[in-house]
Amino acid sequence: MERDKKSFSGGRKYRNDDITVYWKPDACVHASYCYRELIEVFDPGRRPWVDMKGSTTERIIEVVDMCPTEALSWKWNDEPRNKNVGPEHTNHIKYRRPELSEDNEDLIPEEPVSVKIMRDGPVVIKGDFTFIYSGNRKEMKAGIISLCRCGNSHHLPFCDGMHRKTGFEDK
Amino acid sequence: MTEKKREVTVEVIDGGPIKITGRIVLKDLKRDTEETPGEIYLCRCGRSKTKPFCDDSHNK
Repeated sequence: MERDKKSFSGGRKYRNDDITVYWKPDACVHASYCYRELIEVFDPGRRPWVDMKGSTTERIIEVVDMCPTEALSWKWNDEPRNKNVGPEHTNHIKYRRPELSEDNEDLIPEEPVSVKIMRDGPVVIKGDFTFIYSGNRKEMKAGIISLCRCGNSHHLPFCDGMHRKTGFEDK
Repeated sequence: MTEKKREVTVEVIDGGPIKITGRIVLKDLKRDTEETPGEIYLCRCGRSKTKPFCDDSHNK
């Protein structure tokens, strides 16, 4: 993918009235959830590629939370509101990029990592763990990834939904 | 926090399975099981006879 010439290591910010979305290009693994789910907002072929007017705040949060890396994260512009954001919002900055958070003394849950084998589908891994693939090593904090088990994904090692088309079955 | 092998590592082995070590809860929705294994290898090619685990079928 063509690299935005104006990008820098710290990334970029995009705002609407409610939230700010942070983009950290170096962290992107092209899992593609963002543009598959919400091309109106996240269009890699457009400059700027994020258009915060393309959808509702609720929907943007939902899709940013799907990003398996810290490439996309978000916060409320109304700072006090950030304190009450729960860990189900995996990509809120306090879970994904605590360095951007105003109060760092957080509450990242120390729970066992959940590894869920989906019915005739991917394996979904959730929690705090080190993720290693193709020479990359990433520290996931309250992260979630969905890995292909059928072998047919076009975005290996991540699931892209191909198991449904190929009729993958566990037994 | 005190146990040694607490930290979880998920490694996608090139041309092979997913290796997961550390403190995990493994749930299999189809077999309806819940286990807490220390180390597992999950099939990634779709050909294993012992899914979700790897049986080296990717090498055959």
